[in-house]
Amino acid sequence: MNHIPMRMHAPSIRPQKLTRRAIAKQQTREKVLQAAREMFVERGYEGATIRDIARAAGMSTGAVFASFADKPELFDAILSDDFAALLAPMRAAASMAPTDREALVAKFGAAYRAHGAQLPLIQAALAASWTRTPEAEKLRREAMRPIRSLVTEVLERAVERGELATRFDLRLVSDVIWDLYLAGYRPAAFEGLPVEAQTARLAERIDLVLASLKVQAA
Amino acid sequence: MAGVRETQKQGTRRKVLEAARDLFNEIGYEESTIRAIAERAGVSVGSVFTTFASKADVLSQVMDDRVEALYAELDRVTRHLRGTTCDRVCSVFAIHYDFECRRVKLFLAHIAASFSPSLDASTIPYGRNSRFKGMLIDLLADGVERGEVRADADLELVLDTLMASYAWNYRLAAQQAADATAMTTIMERQVRLIFDGLKA
Repeated sequence: MNHIPMRMHAPSIRPQKLTRRAIAKQQTREKVLQAAREMFVERGYEGATIRDIARAAGMSTGAVFASFADKPELFDAILSDDFAALLAPMRAAASMAPTDREALVAKFGAAYRAHGAQLPLIQAALAASWTRTPEAEKLRREAMRPIRSLVTEVLERAVERGELATRFDLRLVSDVIWDLYLAGYRPAAFEGLPVEAQTARLAERIDLVLASLKVQAA
Repeated sequence: MAGVRETQKQGTRRKVLEAARDLFNEIGYEESTIRAIAERAGVSVGSVFTTFASKADVLSQVMDDRVEALYAELDRVTRHLRGTTCDRVCSVFAIHYDFECRRVKLFLAHIAASFSPSLDASTIPYGRNSRFKGMLIDLLADGVERGEVRADADLELVLDTLMASYAWNYRLAAQQAADATAMTTIMERQVRLIFDGLKA
């Protein structure tokens, strides 16, 4: 098992000693993030300008730029926060699952549920993922690592318990499943597929992949 | 007279599509403005808009034209593909990666645009290409006949699973500048994984 130290971006967790100035800075940042999230969900990535976001946060565009270098950075900060906030519900959803396969499906189901209310944001995120700069991409990958490891964790445990065989590299299996999870946002965004159906659809695809790893009866 | 006008219109259309194809690939989709495309094509901005509804529409037409060339190539090749069903499916993906990587930035713009919430009715976003899917379904069905793929396998489901891997592998091109060979190698491992569970 690899345990990666988690850097939480969630607003509730703060370093202990902060100067008044640092606290004010942090509060501005959070106000910007809050306003930006609403704007992105409402107008999409292209439609939300820094000017709109500043106005919604009740501050100047200059104040927004003091916290974030540009719109992509602001957008990525929101995504990182969102995915960090997903860890707990994903874990909780999996804790009740009787099998590893169901744990995997439950984790993704929790993610789909949490994102259901802000599909435009996810759509924008998926669109952006094809044209990010390498530096931005590196940061994003770092932020996603704890979530990605939730998938690998389940697969490793299933192998340990003998539920799955190790004929294939688990990293490969994990990547294929992750891509299927991401691909599952498309029918939700474009065809209005409800969360339950979206999760069931993913479950079918996960089963197809896991069929290759089934331990064959002797 | 109508004939002349029609010819002119077609000429403008072709010039715009060629200019846009090159510009998208060179500087990226977001950075290419309609003005820059018109300038490169040697036509007015207004005449671009008489033929195309939007920049997204231009992109989708560019991609549509390219696909014609690709499928002409594929239709010739698929009949001669050798090996197991799995090998042949891998070859079809390899040909696609090879083709799209010739102008990879263009293709990435095409995928990115397909997530846009405001698609025009006339644009054909990535992922609705029925010929690609039809070709793979035929290969899979053939695999069932040959006894290489389980008869009770849901082929549409298999296809959709393969396509998810195929599409997301372009991330490697976007983020790590991977070439067609690198993507084909990874795709082959993914296809083999999926096929292993399909054994008859």
